[in-house]
Amino acid sequence: MSKIRLLICAVVVALSLPSLSQAFVDDEACLMCHKYPKMGRVDDEGFQKAYYVMPEVFSKTVHRNVPCRDCHYFIKQLPHRPVKEGVRCDRECHSIENPSTGKPFSHKSIYDTFKKSVHGREKLETGLDNDKPYCITCHTNPLYNEEEEAPPKEITDRCVVCHEDEAFAFKWYNHTSRRIREVKRDTQEIVELCSRCHADQEIIARHKADAEATGRELGEKYTIAAESYEKSFHGKVAKYGNKQVANCLNCHASPDNYYMSVHELLPSRDPMSPVHKDNRVKTCRQCHKTADANYAAIDPHPTHDKELNKFNYYAEIIYAIVGDVALVLLVGLSLFETIGRKRDGVSWVLRNGTTWRGRSRRKRK
Amino acid sequence: MKLSNDANKVLGTFLRQYKISAEDVNDLEEIVSMMPEDRRQIYKNVESNPVGDLFRYSVHIRIQHLLTFTTFLLLAFTGLPIHYNDAFWAVPFNDVLGGVEVTRVIHRTLAAWMVLSMVYHLVTVIGGTLQKMTLGQFDIARSILPVMKDARDFVADMSYHAGRSENRPEMDKFMYKQKIHYFAAAFGNIVMVVSGSSFIFPEFWNSVLPADYASHFQEMMRLSHPHEALLALLVIAFWHWYNVHLAPGRFPMQWTFLTGKLTREHQIEEHFLEYLRCLASLPEERAYLREMLVSKGLVSVSKDIDARQNFLFDQHRQWVKEQAMQEAGQEPVAEEKPS
Repeated sequence: MSKIRLLICAVVVALSLPSLSQAFVDDEACLMCHKYPKMGRVDDEGFQKAYYVMPEVFSKTVHRNVPCRDCHYFIKQLPHRPVKEGVRCDRECHSIENPSTGKPFSHKSIYDTFKKSVHGREKLETGLDNDKPYCITCHTNPLYNEEEEAPPKEITDRCVVCHEDEAFAFKWYNHTSRRIREVKRDTQEIVELCSRCHADQEIIARHKADAEATGRELGEKYTIAAESYEKSFHGKVAKYGNKQVANCLNCHASPDNYYMSVHELLPSRDPMSPVHKDNRVKTCRQCHKTADANYAAIDPHPTHDKELNKFNYYAEIIYAIVGDVALVLLVGLSLFETIGRKRDGVSWVLRNGTTWRGRSRRKRK
Repeated sequence: MKLSNDANKVLGTFLRQYKISAEDVNDLEEIVSMMPEDRRQIYKNVESNPVGDLFRYSVHIRIQHLLTFTTFLLLAFTGLPIHYNDAFWAVPFNDVLGGVEVTRVIHRTLAAWMVLSMVYHLVTVIGGTLQKMTLGQFDIARSILPVMKDARDFVADMSYHAGRSENRPEMDKFMYKQKIHYFAAAFGNIVMVVSGSSFIFPEFWNSVLPADYASHFQEMMRLSHPHEALLALLVIAFWHWYNVHLAPGRFPMQWTFLTGKLTREHQIEEHFLEYLRCLASLPEERAYLREMLVSKGLVSVSKDIDARQNFLFDQHRQWVKEQAMQEAGQEPVAEEKPS
């Protein structure tokens, strides 16, 4: 009998091995359906939606310990009905405790900061606010923070002296070391991220038309933000692959607390904005140590647009005309000269000590 | 040949400045009177050595030209792939050099060499001018500085090319075309250095400019650097190279930039006034020209009349006498020939 029990246990263990390999908690068996790659449907608007969760990927994300229904709280039954609500990032996690406060973990405080920023929006928006980014637009939870294969032994050996649970020590190490290392996007990635909306001509046109219709004040550089950055010195150097050069956030987020500030981006007309005219010198000085008011006057979003910068617009035209005219005149002069000299009998090669072999075709007076 | 007013002026100044002796002046007077009125007869019949006959550029100028054109071309070849870094040809070019960041370092290093070449040029040109002034041998007409005569020369030359006049104007050591080119290059160099330095040292440039103009200045510099570079490259490719390599009479190459010498026919055609100076200072050139004119039967038919009309030689002989009288009792009349 005990042998049979042992066999049953072995079979149960063997059958549950695939799920044991998943490092995250799936107590509510959501993966029962969502583990299938073809799980999805075409929605009412014709978009194909994929509901497939890759367990081996999710198990490496920062949310791997959060049960699905902590975020997808609106699911009350299984199989659940079509979902109308989105996941809001300001929800409290009932299963995860914030170790610093002992309260349920929540992104609410940073979420509130974000809502006050120029990008602030609700999860579900209609109209122009729907163009704004939500948390997951930027926080794509990518794998660049993939945990190390094995934490350094000389460190974890020290942890387990008191923290007997080795797995806890490993997790703690991964959690802290990842935040100490620089894991934010590099310059090119940030420019790319911001450009996803700020270079989208349809979004720009929508907001411009609305601003004109309602009299709402639009950012001075809003319509050319991405394209003018690309033409600027910063943009060019960033494109060349330089990692130190200023990207969007280096100027538009406050250097006092970069990580907080990227969530509370403000238009330049707001006195709290690092690119407000009163704060520009300080912002420039992050990199350009000797920058003064004159330096801060340099336009980091140069444009030749006639409405936005008449000076540049006409300068560009004058340059083009002067260049073309100079070239045409000089080449014309050379041709005219050649015709005149050829008429007098000059040839192309100096032979027997002279190039003047041909007979002059001039009419002698 | 009866000398023109311009020639009278230039030659008269040269004879005094270089204290040409009475004997040399006698010889010069004779050879000048033998020259036919139609200058084309002279430059069409002289013998020229392709690598050059008559001295024109010192070794300093030749080194500066080499430095400037090598740095200029390399700057253009590294600058264009930086500016057009997305272009299909720029990507492999930058990759070969090690990426656009490396191209930028090379570009800036070359720029320093070009600035060095400019400084070298300024030192030699200013130093040489001061030296000539000290020796009393400076003549603005012989320098690269533009004078009113250049405008007249331009009009006269256009008239010749249009077939409306028989001869090209009598031009000096630097003709109008070369003066335009020199100052265009000088202006271009300054624009490139100022705009290039405003990219490397923006804080400096903006600290010396009024705040209202600081932004416009940077914008202008950003526009100027590629525009001026492209213009310079096109002018060099289509104009300068045409003039010194492809134009009839210059093909396949003028050797002046290497040997420092100009062919005789070129000097007589385009720099006749400088050729008169060569005749005044080089007895062997006078001997050659005399022999050529006689052997080809080109001696001016109005030789004796012309000789009487060129008063400047008499004036110079008079001046030599006066100088000798002033120095009488101390030194004999200087007879050595200028080197």
